[in-house]
Amino acid sequence: MFARSAVVIAALMLGGTAVHAQQPLPAPSGAPRPSEAPVSGRSPRNASYAINVRLDPGSRTLSGDELLTWRNTSRATATTLQFHLYYNAWRNSRSTWMRGRIRTDPPIAARPEADWAWIDVTSLRVIQRGTLPADIISQARYKAPDDGNADDRTVMEVPLGRAVGPGETVNVQIAWSARVPRAFARTGTIGDYYFVAQWFPKIGVFEDTGWNTHQFHATTEFFADFGTYDVRLTVPKGWVVGATGVERERRDEPDGTTTTHHYVQDDVHDFAWATSPHFIEGHATFADAGLPAVDIRLLLQPEHAGQADRHFDAARAALKNYGRWFGAYPYGHLTIVDSAWQSGSSGMEYPTLITAGSRWLTPAGDDTPEGVVIHETGHQFWYGLVATNEFEHAWMDEGINTYSAAMVTERAGAPAYYTKRYFGGFIPWVFRNALLSRIVEGDRLPTYRRDANGDPAATPTWRAFPATAGGISYAKTALWMHTLERMVGWPVQQRILSTYFVRWEFRHPKPDDFFAVVNEVTGRDFTWFFDQVYRGSGVFDYAIYDLRSEPNVARGYFGEGASRRFVNAEGRATDYVTTVVARRLGDGTFPIAVRVVFENKEEMRWEWDGRDRARTFQVVKPSRASFAQVDPDRVLVLDVNSTNNSASLKPRTGAAATKWSLTWLVWLQDHLLTYGFFV
Amino acid sequence: MPVAGAFKDGARRVRGAPMVLAGLFAVMLLVGLPLSYVLRGMLAAHLGNSLAADSAAAGTNYEWWLEFTTQAAGIGKTFVPSIVGFGAVLDNLQGIADNLPLASAIVGVTATWLIVWSFLSGGVIDRLARSRRTRSHGFFAACGMHFWRMLRLGILACAAYGFLFRYVHGWIFSSAIGRLTRDVAVERTAFAWRAAGYLLFAALLLGCNLVFDYARVRLVVEDRRSAIGALFASWRFVRRHAAAVVGLYALNAIAFLLLIGVYALVAPRTPGGGLSTAVALAIGEAYIIARLFLKLLFYASETALFQGALAHAAYTAAPAVVWPDSPAAESIANADGSPAS
Repeated sequence: MFARSAVVIAALMLGGTAVHAQQPLPAPSGAPRPSEAPVSGRSPRNASYAINVRLDPGSRTLSGDELLTWRNTSRATATTLQFHLYYNAWRNSRSTWMRGRIRTDPPIAARPEADWAWIDVTSLRVIQRGTLPADIISQARYKAPDDGNADDRTVMEVPLGRAVGPGETVNVQIAWSARVPRAFARTGTIGDYYFVAQWFPKIGVFEDTGWNTHQFHATTEFFADFGTYDVRLTVPKGWVVGATGVERERRDEPDGTTTTHHYVQDDVHDFAWATSPHFIEGHATFADAGLPAVDIRLLLQPEHAGQADRHFDAARAALKNYGRWFGAYPYGHLTIVDSAWQSGSSGMEYPTLITAGSRWLTPAGDDTPEGVVIHETGHQFWYGLVATNEFEHAWMDEGINTYSAAMVTERAGAPAYYTKRYFGGFIPWVFRNALLSRIVEGDRLPTYRRDANGDPAATPTWRAFPATAGGISYAKTALWMHTLERMVGWPVQQRILSTYFVRWEFRHPKPDDFFAVVNEVTGRDFTWFFDQVYRGSGVFDYAIYDLRSEPNVARGYFGEGASRRFVNAEGRATDYVTTVVARRLGDGTFPIAVRVVFENKEEMRWEWDGRDRARTFQVVKPSRASFAQVDPDRVLVLDVNSTNNSASLKPRTGAAATKWSLTWLVWLQDHLLTYGFFV
Repeated sequence: MPVAGAFKDGARRVRGAPMVLAGLFAVMLLVGLPLSYVLRGMLAAHLGNSLAADSAAAGTNYEWWLEFTTQAAGIGKTFVPSIVGFGAVLDNLQGIADNLPLASAIVGVTATWLIVWSFLSGGVIDRLARSRRTRSHGFFAACGMHFWRMLRLGILACAAYGFLFRYVHGWIFSSAIGRLTRDVAVERTAFAWRAAGYLLFAALLLGCNLVFDYARVRLVVEDRRSAIGALFASWRFVRRHAAAVVGLYALNAIAFLLLIGVYALVAPRTPGGGLSTAVALAIGEAYIIARLFLKLLFYASETALFQGALAHAAYTAAPAVVWPDSPAAESIANADGSPAS
C-alpha cells in the first residue's frame, strides 16, 4: 500500500523538483496572482495529494499515507506547515468542536466509548532533493489559533526547518491512522455504511498574512486550496465505493478479501468517499444545450429504491439552472450518495460528490429528497467551484446557495407542501392546503425571523453565536440576495452572479470581492445596503399604521369678515381625502413604495426613502380608498412582518378569525376526546 | 352475552339516549368555545385590517400563519398548521403515543374537561345501564352521587397511567428501542421496532384502560362506594371474562379506527370562505359527535356485557334516584310546631 508513495518519493529525491522558485508579482484586485494562476488545468492546483488508505471495518480504522505537493501561492514566506486533523474533534469532550456542541446538545458528551474517534499522524517527512527525508513528526505541535484551547488537536503545525518562499513548492510525505467515528456530525459510520469526509491530514490555506487554518468548530467546516487528488481506497471486496472524482481502476488485492479503488480528480479542494455493501447503483446523464454533459451516479439505500428518478430529476434541475444562470459545471460527473438512516451524513457537499438524505416514506408533495439534492448540487458551484472560506464567511456559500436553490425549486414547478412527520418522525402527512413558497421555505423567512437579532454576517462564522449562526448564514443571506434581485431585476442579478462565478471560480473570493462585483455590474453603489445586511444586524419592518378615506369636507368657520360663518360640511362631499400613515418599525432602512388602490380601481404610488420613523401621505380623489400597501411589490423580502404591510378599509378580519378559530375548535374538541380516553 | 350482542345492545342504548349525546356535545362546546373565542381575538388582533385577512379568509395563508405562530403566546401557540383536517387527529394521537408534553396553555382546559367528564360519567353510565329515561334530575343526581367515587377512581387511574407514561413509556421508547435501534441503518427496521413498541405500550395502556372502564361500570351498576373495591372487582371480572371483554374492546377499537379512517378521507383540507367554511365546520363537528357516540358506545357496550354476565340482565343495584325535597318542604317536614325563636 505504501509502495507507490515510496516510488514517487524516490523520484522526487533523485531528480524531481522538490522546491521551485518563482518570482511573485503584484496582482490587481480580482485577478489571480501569478503563483495562483493554474499550472495546468483551471485551478492553481497548489495542494495536491496522492493518498493510499485502507479501511478495516473490523476495527473501524483507516490506515493511510499521503504525498502532499504544496505550492506557496501567497506573497509571504512559509516556515511551517499547518494541517487540519478534523477527526480529533471527537477525540474527547475537551475539543473545541465538542465544547461548542455541548452548549446546545449536552448529552452528546455522554456518547458510548465506541463512538469516539481520532487521527494520529505517525510520521511526517519533508522531501528534499538529494537528502534522505527525516521524520520530523516529533517537532509537530497542536495549535489553537481561534480560542487557545490547549486540549484541541484539530490543527497541527510542523516547522519546515527552512523557508518556502512565494511560488516555491514543497513535498511532504505523511503517514497516519485514524479511527472512524460513529457520526457526531457529517462523517462517520453506522453498521457497514461509511461516509468518510474530513478524514486525512489536510493542509491549511497559506495567505499573505500567514496560515488560515481554523480549528474545527461545531458550526463551520472547511476551507482549502485546489489541487489534484489521486486516491487509492482499499475496502472489503464487494463493497461499493463512491468518491470524489472518477474511478480509474479497480483491483482485487492478493489477500482475496479487499479491493482497491483508484479515484482521480483534478481541480478540487477536498476529497470525500462512501462505501457500503448495500448501495444500489444507478446512472443517468444530464444533457442541456450549451452545457457540458454530466454523468450522474447515484448510490441509493435499498429502502429508497423507488426514488432514483426523484434524485436524478432534482440534480438535473440544479445542474441546468445553475449552469445556465452562473456558469457550467466542468467536471463531467457527479456522485450522489444516499446516506444511511441515522448516519448523520445527510445533506453534505464535497467536490463532485454530495450526500442526499431521503426517507423511507416520502409522498408526492413532500420536498424530500428534492430539496436537499438541489441544495447540495448547488454547492458544487457555491463552495466547490467558487471556493469561499466557510470557516469565516459561511454566508458566501450557504447563503448564496440557499438563495439559488430556492430559485431552482420555484422554477422546477413541482409544488411542495408543508409536511409533518408523526409517530417518532416516521409517518408523513402532507398538508395540501399549505403550499410552500420560495420566500417562506426556500429563503427560510421564518428561520430569519427567529434569528434576526443574531450576529452581523460580517462576524467570522466560527465565532458567531451558534444558535443563530445558521439563520444568519443561510436565511438572512438568501433573503437579502432575493431583495437585491427584486431591486435590480433578475437579468441584472443573473449578470452579477455569472460575473462573480466566472471571475472567481477555482479561487477564494472574500466578501468585498462579491460586493465589488455587485457594484460593478449594476453601476450603482450598494454599500448602504451591504452595511445593513452584512455589517449590521438591524431588522426591517415597515407597516401601514393608518388608512383613512373620508369625504373632503370640513367643519367650522369659513369666509372673511361679514361673510364668515359656521359651516357643518364645507367642500365637495363627492371627493375623498385619503390619508396613509406608513411607519418604520425596525432599525433597518430601505427605500420603499407606498401604494393606495381606490374603489374605482385607480392607484396612487409614492416613493419613500424609508428613513424617517413615520411618513404621512395624503391625496384627494373622487373615489374612496380600498386599501393601502407599503412595499406593494414586495421588494424588501427581508421584512420580518409582512402582515402589517397593508391595510384595507373593508378587511375580512372577522371572517378569517372566525373561520380559523372554529377550525381550531375542532382540533381542541378532538384533543379533549383523545385525552378523554383516560376517564 | 356474546360480544356482538353486547356491542349491538350498547349501540341501541346510546341511540336511545340522544339527550345524553347532545348534552355532552353541548358541554364540550361550553368548554371549548370560550377558548376558541379568545383565540379568535388573538387572530383578529394579529391580522388587523390587513389584506392578509382576505387570503386567510379565502383559503390558507401559510406565510401569515407562520408569522402569527412566531409571536403567539398562550393558546395561540397551539394554533399551528397541523390542526387542519385529519392533522388534528394525528397531532392528538401522537401526543399520547409519543408522550409529548401538553402545551401549558391547554393543560387547564384538559384538566377541566377530565374533571367534568368524571362528574358526568356517573350519570352517563347510570343512564346507559338503566336503558331508560332518567330525566335531568335523575341524571344529575346520579352524577352527584357517583362523583366522589369516580374522582377517587380517577386518582387511582392517574397513578396507574402516570406510572405507564412516566416509567414504562420511557423504558420502552427511550431505553429499549433506543438501544435496539441505535445502530440500525435502515429506517424501515427502526420503524418496525417502534411499531412493536407502540403495540406493547398500547397493550399495557389499553389493558389498564379496560380495567378502569369496568371499575367505573361496577361502581355505578353495583352502587359501590369503594373505588379500590370496584377496581379489584373489575379486575376479577376482566380475568373471568377475558375473551369477551377483550373481544368487545377490540370491536369498539375497530369502530374507532373505522371512524378516523373515514374522517381521513372526508376531512376538509382547505377551509375556504363562506359556505365551504360552514361545510368544513359541519364535517368537523359531525366527526366530533361520532367520536362522542363511540365514547358512549364503549361505556354502553361494556355495561351491557357486565350486566349480561349477572344473574339478572339489566341489573342495577342502586335505587332510582329520588330528588330530595325542596328546602321548604324539608323544613315543613322537620317542623315540630314550636315557634321560631
